[in-house]
Amino acid sequence: MDSAARLGPAEIDVLAQLGVATVLLGSIYALIAVGLTLIFGIMRVVNFAHGEFLMLGMYLAFWSFTLWSIDPWFMLVVAIPLFFLVGLVTYALVMRGVVHASHNVQIFTTVGLSIALQNLALVLWTGDYHMLRPWHASAVVRIGGTAFNLSQVVAFTVSVALTLALFAFMKWTHVGRVMRATAQDGEAATLMGIDTDRVYRFTFAIGIACVGAAGVLVAPLYAAYPTAGLQFVLLAYVVVVLGGLGDMVGALLGSLIVAGVEVVGSYFFGAAWKEVFYFVLFIAVLMFRPAGLFGQRGAETLGA
Amino acid sequence: MESLLARHWAALVIFGLAVLTPLFVRDAFFLDSLVLILLWGALSAAWNVASGYAGQVSLGHSAFFGIGAYAAALLATRWQQSPWLGMLVGVAVSLAAGALIGYLSNRLRGPYFALSTIAFSQVLLILASRWRGFTAGSEGIPVPFRPGFWTLGLGHVAWVYVALGLAVLYYLAQVYLERSRIGYRLAGVREDEDAAQALGIPSRRLKVFAITLSAAMTSVVGTLWAQYVGFVDPVYVFSVDLSIRFALNTIIGGMGTALGPFLGSILITTVETYLRATFSGVKTGFAGIYLILYGCILILVVRFVPEGLAGVAARLRARAARAHA
Repeated sequence: MDSAARLGPAEIDVLAQLGVATVLLGSIYALIAVGLTLIFGIMRVVNFAHGEFLMLGMYLAFWSFTLWSIDPWFMLVVAIPLFFLVGLVTYALVMRGVVHASHNVQIFTTVGLSIALQNLALVLWTGDYHMLRPWHASAVVRIGGTAFNLSQVVAFTVSVALTLALFAFMKWTHVGRVMRATAQDGEAATLMGIDTDRVYRFTFAIGIACVGAAGVLVAPLYAAYPTAGLQFVLLAYVVVVLGGLGDMVGALLGSLIVAGVEVVGSYFFGAAWKEVFYFVLFIAVLMFRPAGLFGQRGAETLGA
Repeated sequence: MESLLARHWAALVIFGLAVLTPLFVRDAFFLDSLVLILLWGALSAAWNVASGYAGQVSLGHSAFFGIGAYAAALLATRWQQSPWLGMLVGVAVSLAAGALIGYLSNRLRGPYFALSTIAFSQVLLILASRWRGFTAGSEGIPVPFRPGFWTLGLGHVAWVYVALGLAVLYYLAQVYLERSRIGYRLAGVREDEDAAQALGIPSRRLKVFAITLSAAMTSVVGTLWAQYVGFVDPVYVFSVDLSIRFALNTIIGGMGTALGPFLGSILITTVETYLRATFSGVKTGFAGIYLILYGCILILVVRFVPEGLAGVAARLRARAARAHA
């Protein structure tokens, strides 16, 4: 990690630093992945445009900070409902017609959405890297023998809180039960009087709200640029496939695994090569356990 | 003979015009556009073999494009070899890579397959940009221009005929895939793999075959493209955007049809060239406008005309035939 390198190895406990870094990073990945897996689990659509909403979240944080000096932490309160709305609109305009369509149609609809959003950002805000530096990005927090910046720690806390809230929502509320029922068997759910279209709309909006919030949270940590979403979303696919597409608890464990691979890999081999590790991990999982480490065998060949 | 003409008249018109154009037109810009149309069409045709005919939708085909481009560029700059030799090396590596990815991701369908191909192309992207000692890293490799056929240092007119020869070859390969035993079996696998397997069709072997063939075809164009453009850099040749471009042309033209990739390439390349010429100079950011348009077109096409231009034409023709009878 950057902060670790700056402080020098003498001041920190390497093993603890790596461990805490994994957890901090993993929590953010989890928030990105949980939306992706939720959308897949319930709508059976792999959202190839997921990363672009993350990118939009990063830009939202950047511009509100630069133009009105609003701290990204406060922006979160605006971002969640805003991205929920964006999700609703996107569903109505783009996704509604393809929920029941073939794989090809679903893949290329979301790919098309991704191209359009990326280049919208390019036209509006150019391809330059935008970085915002609120005070908390340079405030150091020491936990045991480790050191992190405050932005990272807060991103972790908020990600965990949001992910847990989503879990609780899915488990204990009526709407959550309805969503799970739709995921299990859409037809039976319709027969029970569930309006599946409404469920899908709501699901998509929640997934986008999660990833939008994640975008705001990572804005102080990573630069925003039109294709910023791509790296994150590739990583989120790795997480989600590791955990089994559609499996929310699996997504959490997958996030920790990917974050661990990234943190340990960059510590030993340098940050330049870290992606190779998780892509190789990804390909290996797709080859040998395509339903995910914890998923049921054969799920990948079902209509997905 | 007559039915042959009826079936392929559109291709005859397109390729015939391409043969005649350099005889009458000497405008470099126009000929350059024609070469690009033909090369993009050939690339899309290669993608179509795996994705349109075998139903294995790949979003990582830039991997094979990059292999072809790098093979020739590295052989030319490091060992002073002919790009034709580089093409052969690229094809050999792509055959191996295609067989490997095809074999390994054999069980995967739909989005899973697409994801595994993206991951594969990203691994190559990282390798090419970080392994500086061998590939020159993300700065890329300028491909030296040495005049002559053996070194592929050609003029515009010669390039038109090289690209055209390849395009016609790929068109014929697709027609063969449509009309041969292997093509019918592939269609069976694409439409219902379980049913095809139940009929005794070796679906796994066929899918590996289609991906491997498609990989080699893509690699050949990668080599030509690198020599034509004169520059290879990892971020472009291994990008997901490039893979999407192959798909975009084919989908708009018509997936699983021999003519579709070329129709799509004509339309998209022309629109792109026009918009680029119109918006360049206004503001650099406007470069993205035609890409926003692509995205929207892609969404609309898969939703409302999933069979593409070729499919629409076939439907209109069928309607006209019914009206006649």
